[in-house]
Amino acid sequence: MSPATGSKPSRRASRRAFLKAGLAAGAAPMIVPSSALGLDGAVPPSERIVVGGIGIGNRGGYDLGCFLQQPDVQFAAVCDVKERRRAHVKGVVDKHHGNAACATYRDFRELLDRPDIDAVLIATGPNWHGLMAMLAAKAGKDIYCEKPCTKNIAETLAHRDTMHRSGVVFQAGTQRRNLPHFAFACELARTGRLGSMKRVYAHPAGMRAMTSGWLPEEPLPDAAVDDWDMYLGPAAWRPYNGRTLGDGFNFEKGGGLVGGGVLEWGSHCVDLCQWAVNDCPPPVEYSPPKNDELVCRYADGVELVFREKGWIPLGSCPVRFEGADGWVEAGDSGKMVLSSPELLAGRKVEEIGGYPATFHVRDFLDCVKTRAKPKGNAEAACNAHLACHAANIAIYLQRPVKLDLATYAFVDDEAANRLRSEARREPWFA
Amino acid sequence: MSRPQHPAEATIMTPTVQPMLAASSPAWITRAAVAAILACLTTAALAAPGPHSSEAELLAVLRGDAPEADKAITCKFLAINGSPAAVPDLTPLLANPKLASWARIALEAIPGDEAAGALRAAAGKLDGRLLVGVVNSLGARRDKASVPLLAGKLSAADAEVAAASAWSLGRIATDEAATLLAGAIEKTPAADRLDPLAAAAVLCAATLQAAGNAEKAVTLYGVVRDAEVSDQRKAEAIRGTIIAKGAAGIPLLVETLRSPSRRLANMAIVTARDLARGETADKPLAAAVDAAVLEEIKAAATGNAVPRAVVLMDVLAERNAGGASEPVGTALAGMVSAANPKPIRLAAIEALGRAGNAAVVGPLLVASGDEDIGIADTARMAVSTLPGEAVDKGIKGQLAKADAAALPALVELIGRRRINAVAELLPLLGHADGKVRTATIVALGPTVDLANLEVLVTAATAPKSLPEGEAARTSLREASVRMADREGCATKLAAALEKASAEAKVTLLDVLGEVGGTKAVATMAAAGRSGEEALEDAATRLLGKWMTADAAPVLLELATAQPGGKFKTRALRGYIRIARQFVLPDDQRAEMCRKALAAAAEAADRKAVLEILVRYPSAATLAVAEEAVKLPGLEAEATKAADDIRARVQPAKKAG
Repeated sequence: MSPATGSKPSRRASRRAFLKAGLAAGAAPMIVPSSALGLDGAVPPSERIVVGGIGIGNRGGYDLGCFLQQPDVQFAAVCDVKERRRAHVKGVVDKHHGNAACATYRDFRELLDRPDIDAVLIATGPNWHGLMAMLAAKAGKDIYCEKPCTKNIAETLAHRDTMHRSGVVFQAGTQRRNLPHFAFACELARTGRLGSMKRVYAHPAGMRAMTSGWLPEEPLPDAAVDDWDMYLGPAAWRPYNGRTLGDGFNFEKGGGLVGGGVLEWGSHCVDLCQWAVNDCPPPVEYSPPKNDELVCRYADGVELVFREKGWIPLGSCPVRFEGADGWVEAGDSGKMVLSSPELLAGRKVEEIGGYPATFHVRDFLDCVKTRAKPKGNAEAACNAHLACHAANIAIYLQRPVKLDLATYAFVDDEAANRLRSEARREPWFA
Repeated sequence: MSRPQHPAEATIMTPTVQPMLAASSPAWITRAAVAAILACLTTAALAAPGPHSSEAELLAVLRGDAPEADKAITCKFLAINGSPAAVPDLTPLLANPKLASWARIALEAIPGDEAAGALRAAAGKLDGRLLVGVVNSLGARRDKASVPLLAGKLSAADAEVAAASAWSLGRIATDEAATLLAGAIEKTPAADRLDPLAAAAVLCAATLQAAGNAEKAVTLYGVVRDAEVSDQRKAEAIRGTIIAKGAAGIPLLVETLRSPSRRLANMAIVTARDLARGETADKPLAAAVDAAVLEEIKAAATGNAVPRAVVLMDVLAERNAGGASEPVGTALAGMVSAANPKPIRLAAIEALGRAGNAAVVGPLLVASGDEDIGIADTARMAVSTLPGEAVDKGIKGQLAKADAAALPALVELIGRRRINAVAELLPLLGHADGKVRTATIVALGPTVDLANLEVLVTAATAPKSLPEGEAARTSLREASVRMADREGCATKLAAALEKASAEAKVTLLDVLGEVGGTKAVATMAAAGRSGEEALEDAATRLLGKWMTADAAPVLLELATAQPGGKFKTRALRGYIRIARQFVLPDDQRAEMCRKALAAAAEAADRKAVLEILVRYPSAATLAVAEEAVKLPGLEAEATKAADDIRARVQPAKKAG
């Protein structure tokens, strides 16, 4: 067991163990701080990864806990548009570190300007995810960003290109990529043990379009308390309303007129489906929902099916992979059901295991040190998000659409192509 | 005739679907908007602006005195449906701080020069944030005609305007834009103005490079590298240069790998990881990158830079994942030698595990017998992940030649790799050395077939030593649960059980419990009524956590008719568990509850059954609850349960 994470050995963990051992005898390295790899338990401040958190709410609080469990993390700053939340998160961080050093910011750009901060945890509402991650990359920060990572197809492609250009480490909050039982199920598919793949299933939990509305204007609070302008960020303007401010989780998810469960859950379960098909480019054909199923087709004929019903009760975020010779279904309960016990090769489902999501954070931090790509890297996230956005466009238009993978434009469909992007509110760009 | 409801409309209009849109809120669509349409259109449909609205209907909203909310959503629909004819009505909104962003959503999307022209014209009139907005939109449209306009704003007094103009030039990415950005960088001294220009130049260069203009890209990257910009910008320009130059960029890659700047060195590592990777990669270039990284590893390994060598070996392993070239494999295999420092050996072994092939099995097998446990374990792990049947053959080939000291490691590898070598392993069960026998038992767990399962049954039920017995129980379970022929496996285990000692019978029951299936249930039933306390204990314990509903009849039987009766309550609770947790038809669940109530002697069990009835309300469970009212001592609780079910089954009548 890894003392830092309590995780079972994995390929990545194995590599980390090698690096630890390899560095034990080395002089103070330039790139990989030896003790920052957790060699002797205590990690000198000079060798910690300095992290800043932006928009730490409910989900972010969970992520924050995962970061703070790691001995090589120094959480140095928090940023939030809400004063109350800034103070609360600072309290959590300071209590953990036993000091009062955590700085607070209302404007994340000030946090990004700090040269001592190596990495950022972005857990704002989805309205900000894509743009903020790209601005963080431009600032040279490594990034752990909650999902959904982008609002539309154009932003998805720009996000991928920005991460590539800037050479930063990006980990999407797709923690199921680092959960052993999901990884096992995906590996069965990827390595051909299910036979040639026929169909992969994802659970969207609501194939509806959604938009964030325009609620009645209320008195604008002092920006030092609740910074409405910064909350709106790249979203088109609307008057202040407390309920809008309180629903950052849904605000402008998917941007314009599309979004919904396909994006909220799809960024997880479609991501797993993408992994099962070897992280190939996204499907090329998307049909609108029929009988609670939205069917997409990859270039090689394999189908990606968004399916609302018919799942074995294995918890939230279920996925199912079907090949010519077998199938596997897995969910958040940590359990799997397989077409044959042979697929388990003598292991028990319970041994393979499920949560916690700490594995995903650890994967990110290890990659910050080695500059390798984490499992939820930008390319992987890009493909899953492209599939979700394209599926949402098919839902919105209520007709099949075809995606050209050379241009990421829809074939002979101007309306679909116009839904690929959306202007950001001034002055934001990236 | 009503038109079909659009999914987006449903969300916009339905408070229950979109919690933010409360019923009392005007949301997007107001009566004023509808009135505006009716007033302006003689042929208007009786519809609010939405996905099905015509352009004329939408423009009527913009032209009327509809609230800002309606005009805003109208802009969104025009982004999808609008034509150049909408531009004159959208343009005035660009000067409206509240609606400018909405108007640009439409103007960025509407094709044709009318929309771009409106944005260019607005750029000449606006300032501040609103100007930044239209500049951004011109960039988003990649409007080449706006290049001179944007160039003029690179030196704007407003730094945000200048930065946005630079970025838009970067997005447009024509030769002219590149030249303008380069010129601006060369004549801009202020750091805060320089970095946005450099960022835009990198974007521009990357776009040119992607379009096939590598020469221009390298020139522009060079301008950034020569400027007094942040290390991040320099690092991006270096990365871009290396990628654009291909093989000619390798010296720069090596130079940057050695950089004292952490940011630059990190960027070089990232670039070394992904340069010329993938199925369509330039293979000579990939080989050249490998060679360069290998040389750096050698230099670092012999110098005082072991950690750097370790990271670079990780890079090399990633680049060669699944099969290294011969030079890379040979070089890494050489580093496994005991003559090297341990960190280098470990990293080389790990790298071979990810990138090696049959050619490197030899050195790894030697290392797997190393006296340093860390080296040996790492080497075994590495061998276990090497791809290819040739590796399996190599290991099997070694088996015949190995002595007692080497056999355990080789046998372990057979197990880890799941090599089909049962015939070679079986004789080793009689080996004089207990370590060899134990290793063989462990290796049979993942490899033995059904025909030979008895060897593990024997090893588990009549072990030669404690370690062998412990290993055999684990291996037997592992082997049994992976057998495709579950019933065949259970039949063999049941047959062995008949002849086994009392203690061994419990061991075999435990294994049968994990195998499951019809035969296993029948065997449990027999054990449950065997009259032997240990077997009845085990059978009821295992049936109590059974994962399929076919255990229910057996559990009920044991709950009501177990001869000794010691485990009746446990059996009943197992039965109740199935009724509570499993997916069952309503009638079947209700019938199970009826029988459980009849069998339950304790109040807690009866209460648990009532809770199940309430948890799955249906006509069938209601009938059982109503019957339970008549049971002595259960009247009040059963009545309440029946009421609860009734309330959930029968929909409430509407008032009036």
